[in-house]
Parts: sequence; C-alpha cells; structure tokens
Amino acid sequence: MKTTFTETDGRLVIAVEGELDTDTCAQFQQDIAPFMDRKNLAVELDFSKLEYISSKALRVLISFQQAVFLNGGSLKITNVNDTVHEIFNLTGLSSSFLTE
Amino acid sequence: MKLNLTIRQGILLLLALFGLLIGVATFLTVRYFWALDVEKEYLDDRDDMVILASQIETSLDDNDVDPFRFVETTARIQAKDENFSYMLRDSTGIVVSPTFMAGKEIPITGFQACTKDGRAGMAKVWGYDCFVIFYPLTHHPFELVAVYDYQYVFGDEAETLRIFTFQIIALFLLVALLTWFGIIPALERMNERRNRAEQELQIARTLQLKAVTHDFPENDPLFDIYAELQAMKDVGGDIFLGGWVNGKLYFVVGDVSDKGTAAAFMMFMLSSVIRSRVQVGVPLDKLMGEISQLICDNPDYEMFCTMFMGCIDPDTLEMEYCNAGHTRTLVDGEFLDQDPQVIAGIVPNYVYHTQKKQLHRGAHLLLYTDGVTEARNEARAFFGETRLQAWVKDRPAGASCRDDCASLLDTLAAFRGKAKQNDDIAIMSIRIR
Repeated sequence: MKTTFTETDGRLVIAVEGELDTDTCAQFQQDIAPFMDRKNLAVELDFSKLEYISSKALRVLISFQQAVFLNGGSLKITNVNDTVHEIFNLTGLSSSFLTE
Repeated sequence: MKLNLTIRQGILLLLALFGLLIGVATFLTVRYFWALDVEKEYLDDRDDMVILASQIETSLDDNDVDPFRFVETTARIQAKDENFSYMLRDSTGIVVSPTFMAGKEIPITGFQACTKDGRAGMAKVWGYDCFVIFYPLTHHPFELVAVYDYQYVFGDEAETLRIFTFQIIALFLLVALLTWFGIIPALERMNERRNRAEQELQIARTLQLKAVTHDFPENDPLFDIYAELQAMKDVGGDIFLGGWVNGKLYFVVGDVSDKGTAAAFMMFMLSSVIRSRVQVGVPLDKLMGEISQLICDNPDYEMFCTMFMGCIDPDTLEMEYCNAGHTRTLVDGEFLDQDPQVIAGIVPNYVYHTQKKQLHRGAHLLLYTDGVTEARNEARAFFGETRLQAWVKDRPAGASCRDDCASLLDTLAAFRGKAKQNDDIAIMSIRIR
C-alpha cells in the first residue's frame, strides 16, 4: 500500500496504490490523519491503482468522509476498478462515495 | 505452567550451587598455587623462611603420602640447634602456640596435600591452620622441615582471598535468595494474572457463543439449520441468530466492523435487540433501521455492521429478507439478488426495504461473513465468491447443515495453508427439507 498526496489550491488528491486491507489500513489512517481537521478541503481519492479494499478500510474512509464533511469540505472517490466497485456496491456505499 | 515454574526454580537453585562451587574451587586453586610458591621459595632459599623452620622427624613414610588425602600424624621436632625454640603465629603475627622446644612432639592433624607430590599442604598444628612441607632426607623417608602459619606468610593476600571467596559465594547466594523470594513470586503473580485474564476471555468467549444461537432446532420436520463461528481472536464481532419465532423461521448473519472485545460488546447489544424485537413482530426492514440507528447513536464504538436478516414462511416457503451491505447469500449455489443498501450504523435514519424470494422444498441457503470470501492463502490470494460457489455446488446432496459448516471450515483451513486466519468467520447453512 502506497499513498501519494498532491495538493493544489485547497484541492487534495490522494492516490492510493496496492491493497487497503486489515494490515495496511492502520498505515492509511495515519497517512490521512493530518487532513482530518482541515477546513473546507476538497478531497479526491484516486483509486485507479487500488486493487482491493477491506471492510475495516471502509470504516476508515467513512470516518474520514464524516470528518471532511463536518469541516465543510467534500470527498469523492474516482477511478475505482471493478473489484473495488463491487465492494462499494455490495456495502451500499457507492452512492455516497462514487460520483460516476 | 506449574511444571515450568518448578524447572525454573531448579535451574536457579543449581545456579546458586554452581556459584558456591566456583567460590570454593577458586579458594582451593589459589591456595594450591600458593603452596607451590612456598615450596619453591623454601627450596630456593631455606634460610629466608623464618616462621617456623627446622628439621622435624615425622612418622610419615612413602606410602602415606597420597595427594589430596587427609593424613593424621604426629611430628617430633628434631632440631640441630637444641637452644632454638619454635612457635606458631597467626596471620597478624601474634604468637598463638605455647613455646616448644626441639625434641617435643607436635600433633599434626587433617593434613591436606596441596601439591601434586603431596609434600606440601595444609594441616592443623595444635589446632591452628598451618602450611606444612615435608622434605626427604637421606636417613628418613620424610622429614617435616617447616611448619608455616600460612596466614602469617600470606597475611593480606589470604585475607583478600577469603573476602573474594566470600563475595563470590555471597553474590550467588544473593541471586538465589532474590530468585526465591523476589523473582519467582513475581513470575507466579504474573502467571496468575495472565491465567485470570485468560479465564476472563474464556468466559467472554463462552458468553459470546451463547449470544449467538447454538441450540438450532435439530430434527425439525421442515428445516435443517446450523451455524458455526470461528473468531480470529478469543472473541469477535461476527453474529448469527436463527430459530422459530411466531411460526416463521428467522435467521440473521452479521459482521461488526472490528475484532476483539469491543466488537463482541457491540455484537452482544445487537443480538439482544434483534432477539427481543423479532419476538414482538417488528418487520425486518424496520428492525434493520433500528439496528442501524442504535449503532449511529453510539458513535463511541466507531463501528458499523453489515447484516443480512431473513425469514421464511413455512406455508408458502417465501423468504423475506433485508440486506445491509452484507455478503451475498447463496441460494442453491446461485447468488441472491440483494439490493445494495448501506451498511448499518453509518447513515442516521436510513430507511431499509425488504425483498422477497420464492424458495422450494430441498432449497439450500448459505449465509456467511466476509471472513469466508476474504480468507487468504500463503500467496495472498482470496478464497473468493467463485471458490465458495464451487464448494456449494460440490456439496453432497444429502449433507446435513452441521456437516456443511464443518466441511466449509475444513475447506477454508486447507485453502489458507500456513497463512493465518485474518478475520472472524461465521457460516450459516439452511436447508428446507
């Protein structure tokens, strides 16, 4: 699992590479922690290179989204592959996370 | 555990004894080298040995001289100079023996040879520790040539040696005492605490297994139903319930999004709510909404829960079900059409809806948590829905639901190989007879 942060004018793109499973999601949680209390942050999670996401990682995403919303920001996930899309569908989360 | 501790005690006791042995050995070895020194010095320069030196006739003969053997003997002073008197001094140089003249007998007891040839060693002369050398003369097999108070000769060094030996022995004794009264009781307490923690977890585990249904109706004429739980830690967040309520067969499989004790607490809460609400006839969609709201209202848990609830009417064999982001149920080896509805506990006031599916006699349902499909082998590949579907299709037609659960757990264990279980696993198998 590898995360890359690119920030331009209050817009934050987080590219996640590899697998977000039970083992790696603690690392992911640490990586995104500094952005949890930022005001009016527009977050885009680029999942084009994400191969898998576990239920525990979903929890991290949900709390991240809630934190961003509470601070007046927005969060969307882009470029999900079929496997990850299936997981979002199955858990009923696609409408709140995926825009396409 | 008790045995291990006894072994540990034994080892430490042996260590203490070993220390004692080292102390004594050092003492004897050093004294041996001193004996060699004295003998050499005497042979080099007899006149310089001043303490008690004379020619003393002894009753020792060749055969009696045996290294490292205690010899009882009496020596007679046979000095050349009749006017010379002899005495013993202790380590401080103070005279401790009565003055004795040449020709008198000296009782020597407890001779302990320090040198290899047995001619030099320690003995008690008039009860005083002395250093003794026997030296051969032409007309006697052996002659006691010198009786030294070895403490007088080696004064300070002897004292140092004694202190050093004492220190070594004391150190090891201290270690032994510390071990006996300090470390071992501490270890025992630690052990006891761990045992107690294990017991508590065991209790939690037992209670959790009671929170999920384990008394499935056996030999029910209409349904065969059975479920198994394999928690990753001692307790987990997977949940299943099943049984007859108000003339319908209800079943629930859920997965709280965490592991360990916190998840188990949540799972307890949910299982009690579901039990009591089902009893009063709350519809599944409404119940799912209540469950979701309950989790939302307890944000401190920071959890959510995927859940599948279903109930089958035994008359029509129609199944009504409600899904909250749970894994896809397999009906006769095909995935059930489950509308994507959000996981319980994320969106407050979310309105769930139920779906319906007509079943038939002989139909088979498999419900599970993602610990099954997301089980990984050593190559980090997932067990996946495809393998699970294949397993359902391969299952023997007449297999009981209890066998199903055992067989699937075995299949999963075989798939994992040496890889560790990475999530709680719950399986529920239902068959309409």
